[in-house]
Amino acid sequence: MPSIIPALQWLEGLAWTTAIRESSWGHPIIETAHVATTVVFAGLVIIMDLRLVGLAFTDAPVADIQRRLFPWQMAGLVPSMATGLLLCCVDPLRYYGNVMFRVKLALLAVAGINALAFHWTTYRTAGRWDEDPNGTATARRAGAVSLLLWFSVIVSGRLIAYNWFN
Amino acid sequence: MKKTTLVLFAAGVLCAVQPAQAHHAFAAEYDSDKPVTLSGTLTKMDWVNPHGWLYMDTKQPDGTVKHWTIETSGPNQMSRRGLKKTDFKAGMSVTVKGYQGIKDPALANGRTLVLADGRSFYIGSVGGPNDGADR
Repeated sequence: MPSIIPALQWLEGLAWTTAIRESSWGHPIIETAHVATTVVFAGLVIIMDLRLVGLAFTDAPVADIQRRLFPWQMAGLVPSMATGLLLCCVDPLRYYGNVMFRVKLALLAVAGINALAFHWTTYRTAGRWDEDPNGTATARRAGAVSLLLWFSVIVSGRLIAYNWFN
Repeated sequence: MKKTTLVLFAAGVLCAVQPAQAHHAFAAEYDSDKPVTLSGTLTKMDWVNPHGWLYMDTKQPDGTVKHWTIETSGPNQMSRRGLKKTDFKAGMSVTVKGYQGIKDPALANGRTLVLADGRSFYIGSVGGPNDGADR
């Protein structure tokens, strides 16, 4: 299998990635935007998850909450992913070699699959149970797993900054 | 309501535990009981976010050369302390005071940088002991 390293070295050597990597303000601003938009996304996902688990807003139908939150979740997710990808491009070799970055990517993939699986299966039937404060066991499980996964994504993301495990 | 209280309590406990770790990795990576003063030749400077890196060679008492990697603060802080990327040229003589790494003995956390012309700069990054280097 060809190594990905030469491609990452090429990316790191580009003028614009170098400029951001060496910048006084660009990099801190992108990092801050990444955290701020992640907070918007994660905060709204947590609201939905708490409803699924049956801990919050149990007097409102699940579908109603999801329909209202979804555009704002995306308003957080899209810039969060864009700034995250940008940060990777700016210092690709460092992230590639970082254990916690790999853990975070893996967790992101699982969290994404969990969210898609929920929307394509359990949520399709929401009309039948979405006014029930406790939902269904599957919905409760999906909510709990989502809470755990997004929390872990945030923790592993924060830990990228610390080379404790490399 | 009981469940909500429990969740809030758990969150509170998590927040209370956090300050013990503070926000710095200094204690995890560097030994505050091992201050080092390194004089030698700069081989490279990575003027990068979030922290910069100085690479320098020092002559050991036995005549061998030791290659050091020294963590500095990032471009923003370095600039505000009066340093520029172009101040660092391979081959120049530098003196760095800092603290040695715990796992890697060729790694150090830089605190004070003294250039050949005698100018001295605080280059500390991730916390560290209250040694006055930042004043």
